Amino acid sequence: MKQMKLFLGPQHPGMHGNASVHLYVDGDIIKRSFLLPGMLHRGFEKGMERHSWVNNISLIPRVCVVEPDINEMAFAMGTEKLLGIVVPERAHWIRMIILELARLSIHLMAYGGLGGPTGNYTLMYHAHADRNSILDIFEQITGHRVYHQYIVTGGVRKDLPKGIEKDIHTFIDSLESRYEEYRDLGIENPSIVARIKDTIMLPESVVWELGVTGIGMRSAVGKPYDIRKVMPYARYDQVDFEVPTSDYSDARARIDCKLKEVIQSISIIRQCIEKMPLGPVRVPLGRGQSMRWTVPKGYVYSPVESSRGEFGYYMVSNGGTHPWRIGVRGASYPQGLLGIEKYMPGTRLDDAALWVDTMGVCSPEIDR
Amino acid sequence: MKSTKFTPARKLSKEEVDRKWWEIGDFFRRNSLWMLMYCTGCCAIELPPAMTSAYDMERLGMGPMATPRQADILLISGYLSVKSLRRVIYTYEQMGEPKYVVGLGSCPINGGIYHDSHAVINQLDQYLPVDTYVAGCMPNTESVMNGFVDLMEQIRNKTAKGWVKYQENNEWYKKNQKAALGEVDVHDEFHE
Amino acid sequence: MTNSMSNVEYLKGVIGQTYKVLETDVIDQYQVSFVVKQDDVLQVLVTLKNAGWIQMSYLSAIDWPDENKFEMVYILMNWERPVHVQVRTKIDRNDPVMPSIITIYPGAKYYERECHEFFGVKFPGNPDYEKQLILELWDDMPPLRKDFDPQAYSDRKFTKREYSEDYKVLSEEPSKKAKRETRKERAESLKGGPKS
Repeated sequence: MKQMKLFLGPQHPGMHGNASVHLYVDGDIIKRSFLLPGMLHRGFEKGMERHSWVNNISLIPRVCVVEPDINEMAFAMGTEKLLGIVVPERAHWIRMIILELARLSIHLMAYGGLGGPTGNYTLMYHAHADRNSILDIFEQITGHRVYHQYIVTGGVRKDLPKGIEKDIHTFIDSLESRYEEYRDLGIENPSIVARIKDTIMLPESVVWELGVTGIGMRSAVGKPYDIRKVMPYARYDQVDFEVPTSDYSDARARIDCKLKEVIQSISIIRQCIEKMPLGPVRVPLGRGQSMRWTVPKGYVYSPVESSRGEFGYYMVSNGGTHPWRIGVRGASYPQGLLGIEKYMPGTRLDDAALWVDTMGVCSPEIDR
Repeated sequence: MKSTKFTPARKLSKEEVDRKWWEIGDFFRRNSLWMLMYCTGCCAIELPPAMTSAYDMERLGMGPMATPRQADILLISGYLSVKSLRRVIYTYEQMGEPKYVVGLGSCPINGGIYHDSHAVINQLDQYLPVDTYVAGCMPNTESVMNGFVDLMEQIRNKTAKGWVKYQENNEWYKKNQKAALGEVDVHDEFHE
Repeated sequence: MTNSMSNVEYLKGVIGQTYKVLETDVIDQYQVSFVVKQDDVLQVLVTLKNAGWIQMSYLSAIDWPDENKFEMVYILMNWERPVHVQVRTKIDRNDPVMPSIITIYPGAKYYERECHEFFGVKFPGNPDYEKQLILELWDDMPPLRKDFDPQAYSDRKFTKREYSEDYKVLSEEPSKKAKRETRKERAESLKGGPKS
């Protein structure tokens, strides 16, 4: 049979983000496939060189739109390493709360995104309703729902408002009490399990060949390789949590790991709120945060554990007021580009959108 | 004495009959707009709360639609890179008339935060006619819903005539598109 | 997991014994960088891969127009002895050629393609590094070089809306600042010179 060229194109109800996958299909089986990135390209790395170190805080969160706090954290950690300043204690705990809330919101969105390709829209409605509550909490803390610009070099911008602990506890308790319902709707649902069990496998050799990190690596290799445990930053070594792994790496095991990480994040947030000391939250960087502060020379790479893997900023400074070069290591770069070229052929056409979702391909961080 | 004479009603002219059919059509059109599902940029992250039960869009009659041939609204959510603009023009020309374009965010208005970037176009209404803008970076979900209600008001007042402008000034739009993009047709042989 | 300082010492031992390292920089207990010569890079990467650094995190280039050189950087990670290693080297800017590393780390294929597109570095050994990945129908110099000005490109290519100029001058008298200046000059000329 002749091969037909199809586009799982940019305009598609099942596609996450604006990227297109070119498929060569024979009947129902995909024979060749390529990702076409570049439709979300904004020239970030060039733009970051044109803004000064202080002004970059407005450009940084827009690199990854669903989870913007990891960008700010990586940038702040990198500049703090170069400058050699020590961040106050309370700021570390507030940063952890914000990062774990962001991780909750993106895991809910990815879990709800499972509902689109399988036709189970109830799951999507539940997940997005809960995610909206998280965005409302963010609005109370930082002032904006999506792009916070809250974690800056030297700490966080302002202290938490009074009474926010009650709101966070109400939300977390309600989410935890409905955890069984979420599991029943998605991962124990027979019509979805038939699509995700024993499909979209990720063996261990592929993980080391491509450079996949995150949940894909932990479920294929079976060891807790997580930056929060292995190279802890921001007081993750003083909080008790586990990193879920699995032995059998199909799509269902990876989604199971995601749900278990939701429970771990909830427990981390509870511990942070208990253990948080009082004190200042920001270190002044000299002359009242003026626009002219400089960063000493150096080359530093600062990795952060995002929900999709190792997300890092490579920053080069030559001692001036503007960065010399900032490179963004997107967490889904390996599995998005080389993974789709080598390992997507062989799946059926209906599973193409599911492949993109369960492997965790997020297109803004591939294009930058 | 009452007169028994009666004067028959004046017969309506053809333009008036057409206009009345258009008004009926506009009534149905504005209460049941279908939106094409195309997330072009960052502001698209405020669409799922609008589409699902948080700020329900379906009570206004709007719903998502998968193909451009059957959709009414093209929602440009956020900035447009040059590569994306080629595909958006294809999509816009495939939609059936009357069709409306809504621009979300400040990037379609004047370039936004990426105004000095080599890959992002600055003003959208040089390339496609836009009916409503919703400002913000990014706009709240309530502002997005306000933008849709604004569009419905415009349809009622017959000022949402973007598609007519595209037909009448087609050469001007095509000239701008060609100057910015080089070539409007899409060549997909990058991986071959 | 072993003690982190000994991981860094282990690394320095592995690399320092066999290769001539131009510069070493220990950034903190989890990160180390080595600057080597261009010809040694492939051997260094093979040695590191055999020593356990099997994950490739990042590959890119940095532009130094004053020295007329590009600096290539490779970042590797080992999860058993957690240290990020940066391997850096400088290559010529006018004709940048760097042998491809996809035989060592296959995941570098698309990183090299993107590096060629944005800087112009050639990677012989990589089958299709010349095809465009992120940009389409690009007609100018590689964008991440320091002599490319994105604002000028944007002004030249994308049309601008014309705004009507409808302001009007309210009064023809000089502004308050101009009046203050003339008064001060006149006062100084009367007293015989400016105040010291």
